[in-house]
Amino acid sequence: MRAQPRGTDGSLLASLPWTLGALAVSLAPHVPYLAVWITGAFICCSAWRFTIEKQRRMLPSRWLRGGLALVCFLGVFGTYSSISGVGPGSALLAIMAALKLLETRKRRDQFVLLFISIFLVMSSLLREQFLWSLPYLIISTLIILTAWLRMSAGQGETARQSFSTGGRLLLYAAPLAIAMWIFFPRLASPFWAVPIDTSRATSGLSDSMSPGDISSLSMSDEVAFRVRFDGDIPEPHDRYWRGLVMTRFNGRTWTGSEPRAGAPVEQQISFSGKSFAYEVTLEPTRQQWVFAMDMPMSWSLDRTFMGPQQQLIRVTPIEQRVAYEVVSYPEYQVQAALPSIYRRYYTEVPSGSNRRSAELAQQMHDAAGSDTAFIDAVLAKFHDEEYFYTLHPPPLGSSPVDRFLFDTRQGFCEHYASAFAFMMRSAGIPSRIVLGYQGGEINPFGGHLIVRQSDAHAWTEVWLERYGWYRIDPTAAVAPERIEYGVRDAALEGFGASWGFSAPSELLQKLTLTWDAMNAKWNDWILGYGPDKQNSFMEWLGMNEPDWRKMLLTLVTIVVALVLAISGLMMLRNRAPRKDRATILYNKFVKKTGLERRIGETAQEFGLRASTESTLPTDNIESVTIAYLDARYGPASAGAEVKLRTAIAAIP
Amino acid sequence: MTFAMLLGSMNYNNNLSFVLTFLLIGIGFVAMHQCQRNLVGLELTFAGTDPVFSGQMVRFRIAITNQAKSARFGIRLYHDKVQSDVHDLQPGESKVFILPMATDRRGWIELDRFGIRTLFPFELFYSWAWLHMDLRGLVYPMPSEDDREPPPTRVAHGHRQHDARGEEDFAGLRRYVEGDSPRHVAWKAYARSGQLLSKQFAGADTSSQWFDFKEIPVADVEDRLSILTRWIVNADRTLKDYGLRLPGNEFPPAHGDAHRRQCLEALALFDKNVS
Repeated sequence: MRAQPRGTDGSLLASLPWTLGALAVSLAPHVPYLAVWITGAFICCSAWRFTIEKQRRMLPSRWLRGGLALVCFLGVFGTYSSISGVGPGSALLAIMAALKLLETRKRRDQFVLLFISIFLVMSSLLREQFLWSLPYLIISTLIILTAWLRMSAGQGETARQSFSTGGRLLLYAAPLAIAMWIFFPRLASPFWAVPIDTSRATSGLSDSMSPGDISSLSMSDEVAFRVRFDGDIPEPHDRYWRGLVMTRFNGRTWTGSEPRAGAPVEQQISFSGKSFAYEVTLEPTRQQWVFAMDMPMSWSLDRTFMGPQQQLIRVTPIEQRVAYEVVSYPEYQVQAALPSIYRRYYTEVPSGSNRRSAELAQQMHDAAGSDTAFIDAVLAKFHDEEYFYTLHPPPLGSSPVDRFLFDTRQGFCEHYASAFAFMMRSAGIPSRIVLGYQGGEINPFGGHLIVRQSDAHAWTEVWLERYGWYRIDPTAAVAPERIEYGVRDAALEGFGASWGFSAPSELLQKLTLTWDAMNAKWNDWILGYGPDKQNSFMEWLGMNEPDWRKMLLTLVTIVVALVLAISGLMMLRNRAPRKDRATILYNKFVKKTGLERRIGETAQEFGLRASTESTLPTDNIESVTIAYLDARYGPASAGAEVKLRTAIAAIP
Repeated sequence: MTFAMLLGSMNYNNNLSFVLTFLLIGIGFVAMHQCQRNLVGLELTFAGTDPVFSGQMVRFRIAITNQAKSARFGIRLYHDKVQSDVHDLQPGESKVFILPMATDRRGWIELDRFGIRTLFPFELFYSWAWLHMDLRGLVYPMPSEDDREPPPTRVAHGHRQHDARGEEDFAGLRRYVEGDSPRHVAWKAYARSGQLLSKQFAGADTSSQWFDFKEIPVADVEDRLSILTRWIVNADRTLKDYGLRLPGNEFPPAHGDAHRRQCLEALALFDKNVS
């Protein structure tokens, strides 16, 4: 085995801090996701390496490094139990950077470290893309470029010069990058699917609903999706964003069926009345549910179909933010005729559970006389009797419907929807529960609607002869303002009033809304620039039937043009000093003599040679030579130049 | 690497990764041009060489002046496999680059072309230019390893007495030079000061010698020149006057740098066909 030299000579002292800085900057966004020991290992190795360089000590031996590498890689595998995906990938990159530091001896070794930092920046972008990700990306690129320049810098290059060179190159590269970004053809579907990151669960809707099990509702302000309407924005009471439908109840928990395709839309629903066209920008949910306002007629999201309960389902989970256009009709009719087999399915309740509620339902149904009268009676019961809407209801135990209806009488949408649907089923009326979002906040700055996780809602649908499936929101009966304004406004108002400062919270909300509007635009234009947007943008630019060939051609053309322009700009910046007029004039004279001026030949020497070798009169040659020497080397004056010009003109 | 990044961006359809990838590609393009621009506005001037003996490296001095308004970084000159040091040049700054070149024979050595190159900014690209400047340096013949003694002079002012006892006039002391006879070392002075000094003698007996090309009993012309070179080098180290006689050229006995240079130049440029 060849022993490698391990000593350090302090030659990296100037550039190492920059390399470490670049690594730190590129690692920073990963830190919240990385296991703590990985960040720790990186910091330790950086400090260790820097001390080694500073004190000109030896690098750790090959065996020590090998051992550390083994431990670290096993550690990563143990922590993540996989090595694919962004999470373990960035962990591996961080570990590689830390270990590589320990064997970095020469300037060139730092190349690898800077490559790693570029990949770290890239993987942080894969993980999350916020509004500040672009500035972050630019700043970190600038730091990496500077570190790179520092790495190869000689004695005469100051850090400041490296920094400004990096900045200038970045500035020159920006138009190129923008052109490439706009015109580079986007693919509709990925080549292969890799999980982005599963280390952080998003708060979405769950696939089942057990009122009473969870005793409080998420009040997360996180945005679920944003909606931009092409025309009017529908009234709050029409804004029911359908997600998933749950059809089975086991006495405690409502569940839906596995996602599967239903009949084509036009066979399931007949639409009437006014339509609303809008675009939804949905945040990643890692679920298959696609949200649309009741009832969607068409949608532009690929690989998405309508299930048998009119819910929209995507074949693959939504791992990334997607945007799709939908046309919805608030007036519709679904399944005017329900086959008896389905009637049984939608009225099924487990026998023996929630017995009191079932009995009550049957009594009320008998008393009401008709299905519609019974529905009204149940809603009136919620409205008139002492039922409270609360986000923190007490737990309900094994017969949740009984306990809720007769004892606690407190709950939120899930409790009311569940109790209502159970009573409907007990009385023989087909019913089901829809989970989705209700309402949403209109952002006056962006003109769009923000639907947050706290807008999650559960409501019911009952099937009535001649009407088909009909939406009934029992929560509306108990707390109408919850439906009209949304839970967020109510909570905020209460908060402001109870603490006596409504004005700051108003300002705060304004700021929040502005920030949200910027985010919406950002998502819309930058992050959402996909194949569709690109196509329409190309058409807007005047490209007929855009395809990838045309786009690539345009891309190449523009890039070449820009490179030429930038090259010209650099030429201007870096041009050599212009030849002075005297030299230009003198060269004319040289041409007239018919001789070549030898390298290193002075004007005097040339003059002497010209008087013997050329046919020009010696007087002329002499006067030109004197005038030239005057103009070129004498004190600057316009007169000398004129003299030279006339002397040359005098040559026959 | 950027290709891998591009594939990644395309796969995830991640617009910010696209930004990063394209930014890096753009920087690549720009760096390429920047690299080329890094050579613009440099003025090269030949600043001469010092003569060397054959077998030594001749060092061409080339002054580079940055006439441009911006600094120039990481400039180096090169020729075959030999490279100069790397220097940075601030605007208006001038630096001397030294480009060494191996020599293997006497006479003029010419560097008909050499290159200037830079790896700035990222060491990813390099730009270069070939320059044709009439650079030449003088190479003296290699001093012979043959340690034969120079012949006694024909026109003698007196025989050289190695065992001289006071016949020569003591003229002074000078610093010991390698090759000085140990007999002339001022040992007493050494004992006093610890410094090696050689005694210098003046007078009739500081004989001047003639080194005559024709009188060297060696057939090969180059060998003869080599031997002459060795003698001149050795004689120059002492204070003896020496003269050189070549076919068609004669340098009367003298001493000093100018004389030494003249003689060595004559040897370097000696035309074989004259003899």
